[in-house]
Amino acid sequence: MFSRTEATALSPEPTSDAMEPHLTQADETPRGGPLKFTYASGARPLDGYTIKRGIGRGGFGEVYFAVSDGGKEVALKLIRHNLEVELRGVAHCLNLKHHNLIALYDVKQDDNENTWVVMEYAVGDSLEELLDRHPNGLSTEDACDWFSGIAAGVGYLHDHGIVHRDLKPGNIFRDDGQVKLGDYGLSKFISCSRRSGQTESIGTVHYMAPEVANGRYGKEIDIYALGIILYEMLTGQVPFEGESIGEVLMKHLTAEPSLDKLPDGYRQVVARALAKDPLARFASVGEMMHALPPMAKTMAYRPPETRYPHEQPATAQPKTEPPQAAAAQTHASGEPIMAQFVAGAAGVAQAAVDDDDPVWNAVRDGWKNARDSWDRLNTPTKVAVAVIGCAALAYNFQLVLGLIVPAVALYVLYRVVRSVILHHEQKKARWVPVGSPQAARSAAPPTPQATPRPIQPVGSLDATTYQPAARASTAAEPAAPAKPGDWRAASAKHWKRQSSKRWRQEAAQSLAVKSVRERVADLAGSMLLAAVVASIMSIVAVILRGQTSVEQNQFAWLTLTSVLGSWAVLIPSTFWAGTDGDQTLRRVTMLVVGLLVGAAAYLASTTLLVQFDDAKGVHEFIQLDFSKNFYDTKGLPQLPAYLAYFGAMLASIRWWRQADPLRRTRLSVWNVGAAVMGAWVVDWFWRFPQPWGLMVAAIISTSVQLAAPQVTAPVDEPAVKEKLS
Amino acid sequence: MTDRCRDLAIEWRKHLAGPKDALHWLWHGPTPAVGGTNAARSAGMIKSVQAVSTPAADCVPWIDNAVNHATTKSRLLLWVDAVGGFFVCLGGEVRLGQATPDAAVDLPMLADLSRHHATFRRDEEGYTIEPLRDVKLNHERITSVSWINDGSLLEMGPALKLRFRRPHPLSATARLDFVSHHRTQPSSSAVLLMADTLILGPETNNHVVCRGWPHDVILHRQHGGLFCTSSTPIEVDGRRYDSRAPLEHNSRVVGEGFSFSLEEI
Repeated sequence: MFSRTEATALSPEPTSDAMEPHLTQADETPRGGPLKFTYASGARPLDGYTIKRGIGRGGFGEVYFAVSDGGKEVALKLIRHNLEVELRGVAHCLNLKHHNLIALYDVKQDDNENTWVVMEYAVGDSLEELLDRHPNGLSTEDACDWFSGIAAGVGYLHDHGIVHRDLKPGNIFRDDGQVKLGDYGLSKFISCSRRSGQTESIGTVHYMAPEVANGRYGKEIDIYALGIILYEMLTGQVPFEGESIGEVLMKHLTAEPSLDKLPDGYRQVVARALAKDPLARFASVGEMMHALPPMAKTMAYRPPETRYPHEQPATAQPKTEPPQAAAAQTHASGEPIMAQFVAGAAGVAQAAVDDDDPVWNAVRDGWKNARDSWDRLNTPTKVAVAVIGCAALAYNFQLVLGLIVPAVALYVLYRVVRSVILHHEQKKARWVPVGSPQAARSAAPPTPQATPRPIQPVGSLDATTYQPAARASTAAEPAAPAKPGDWRAASAKHWKRQSSKRWRQEAAQSLAVKSVRERVADLAGSMLLAAVVASIMSIVAVILRGQTSVEQNQFAWLTLTSVLGSWAVLIPSTFWAGTDGDQTLRRVTMLVVGLLVGAAAYLASTTLLVQFDDAKGVHEFIQLDFSKNFYDTKGLPQLPAYLAYFGAMLASIRWWRQADPLRRTRLSVWNVGAAVMGAWVVDWFWRFPQPWGLMVAAIISTSVQLAAPQVTAPVDEPAVKEKLS
Repeated sequence: MTDRCRDLAIEWRKHLAGPKDALHWLWHGPTPAVGGTNAARSAGMIKSVQAVSTPAADCVPWIDNAVNHATTKSRLLLWVDAVGGFFVCLGGEVRLGQATPDAAVDLPMLADLSRHHATFRRDEEGYTIEPLRDVKLNHERITSVSWINDGSLLEMGPALKLRFRRPHPLSATARLDFVSHHRTQPSSSAVLLMADTLILGPETNNHVVCRGWPHDVILHRQHGGLFCTSSTPIEVDGRRYDSRAPLEHNSRVVGEGFSFSLEEI
């Protein structure tokens, strides 16, 4: 195997008799070096330009860095074979304008009838150089960043009826942060159909679609090359390597790429882009971008028509995902439980709905899920559920009503706060300097809530990204019958093990870089849900307690304390998500928050005049001496006891882990158990009327876990495939 | 420590009888962990290349390292084919400022700077920067002459960011890499503050990293002249040399697998 650089060096040199008779100093020097340039620094083969240095040489000729007499820095490309038909291709491209394309300024002839293309000089490194420095591939973020720029350029070319035909890392540059595509319009010079492939280099062959062998040059060959480039950026290697041009070409024609090195979400895209049958590939660059995971989509790429509204091309618009659908995916990570409850409330609030609202989306998706699961039930179960539901509703009508009204009120409050925050943040975002990552992120999607999320719940994402790919593979089957899906099965096990850890790291990183605004938006949704869940759990807890004589104020106290407690966990946890902070510091913070909750709980109990019935004699054995100040004569806790109990309870266990978006299961019974255990241990020291204290702990734990966002690990592919089939 | 360094230096000098040996030693690098970078530097090992060589009569004089007041003659552009263009400052004192039509500084930058913004100086100990306007060294504002080391980040004016590199342990030559998207005037890929030797080659610790080159090529100063040394035959301005060749102000050097040109600024 050889690297791209060596491979290019091995390409046959153009025969010297094809060159012009003009002799320069360099022409007299011994041949043999791979970096041989015809013109030396200071030469002026083309009137008006002074060559400074050679930049490189492709299959078509040499490229120089030159400065015009006026001082403009340009790249000069020497095209030795002056074929008019082919030059028409260049002329056609001369007036294309796109910030992801290297601008072509002019085409000129020198005195020796050589043709020179005068074009923009890109200062930065080529993707090839970058990949040489990163033999194991780029980070997913970098790869997506490059890829979106490349895709935008190629999309623009396709949009103008031009096929690049020579997409490869050596033709892609980065100048001032901007991805630039070069060598378009010249590609007929390097086509393999030219006699004996005289000017072709193996570097090009690595990116050459199989149908090129048959002389087919549709847009599909660019899609194929995009697939190879994406593969190479993510893994550091091209999928088909070989000792010779023939071997590489043969692999393009017959071999299946091994996709197990690619991150999840990209395998299907690359597989489809690399389909042997051109018709099985993505029909357009837009479609390919659409199939990529959201991280790639939210970057620079936008379909041409949004960037150039005045041009309005007549070609089929690449399907862009409606922003609300994307947002819905983001939050559809499965809150069916509370969604069912909130569904009623949401109906009332519908008038004020903005589709980017996470809570609203959760409610809507929850409702959809609920309806789906309802449809799946068999008739007897449906009847039973309906009867029980109606009975419960009739029995607790007042309670439910009392719940819905505050819930709606809470939601309206949340909407107001949220819109104020978002409005404020957007105003701020406008002033972010151009070029900063923040600007790039907030400028990218044209949605009112411009918060592209680096990591999405992949579980829901698979549903959208997988399907087109699955269709593609069935379509590709007749063309490539070789080994359907072998690599998937073989790699699944290994992948699962390896990817989980890597995925968690990546997810944690992307969580850690979330902006305050994103966190606040998340938090607002979580807090509302936590309030709803805590209220419901309070009802459940009161019912479970089995006492008929539950007083309204006891229930109110329980609800209020639980809601406050769950908020107390959620608020700091949101800002700790994705980072490994100092545990002591976090516990101290939780202690302080706990004291506040304790004070609030005490205040609530006094204002509501709560009478706890069973206050005495639970754990007399470790009662501490300061009980006199802590408890009144009846043994009921006073403010210090409240402070101590709640402070200790929130500091006793690592509550923030229950709100960690990377927790493995959304609601873990163990976590609830741990919370209850913690509260029970605390109760040994500072007696608190039970089971109220334990109930609060259990409700806080449950509502925090249900309300805190969760990012699910990628689902392994065979499982998804099974599900889909 | 100092004594040990001196002993080492004496011993090395004994072994390095001629320029070829010195270069051979340069190519193959120092024995790791013997004395370390600082020891080698303090022992003046790099100087040995110059010290042991014979005076060359056929070379064009270049500004000497010892001359502190740089003139326009002290700069050149090094155009390395397939690699990049480099702004080489030969003076021991390099003044940096904004590129204006009548800029009088050695290192004119197309950036929002003062006409004379800062001055770099090289001496036996290393490099210093004298801030004449706002300069930040590793994110901290400096107001007096400060030492700069390999990896130091320099911020000047509102946006210019440069990374100071001294990549080769055996050469006092330093490189200024552009961190921000600014360029010199005339434009270049990087700035080289050349001491006595300038090493071009495939290794990442070379001053000019040239991917794909078969071996290192060294530019070095001797008795006021600039020379090029290669382990394979080279051709300078059409004349063939076996390993070492004197360079003119606008020389073109072509070897097996590499080529570069000098241009006076």
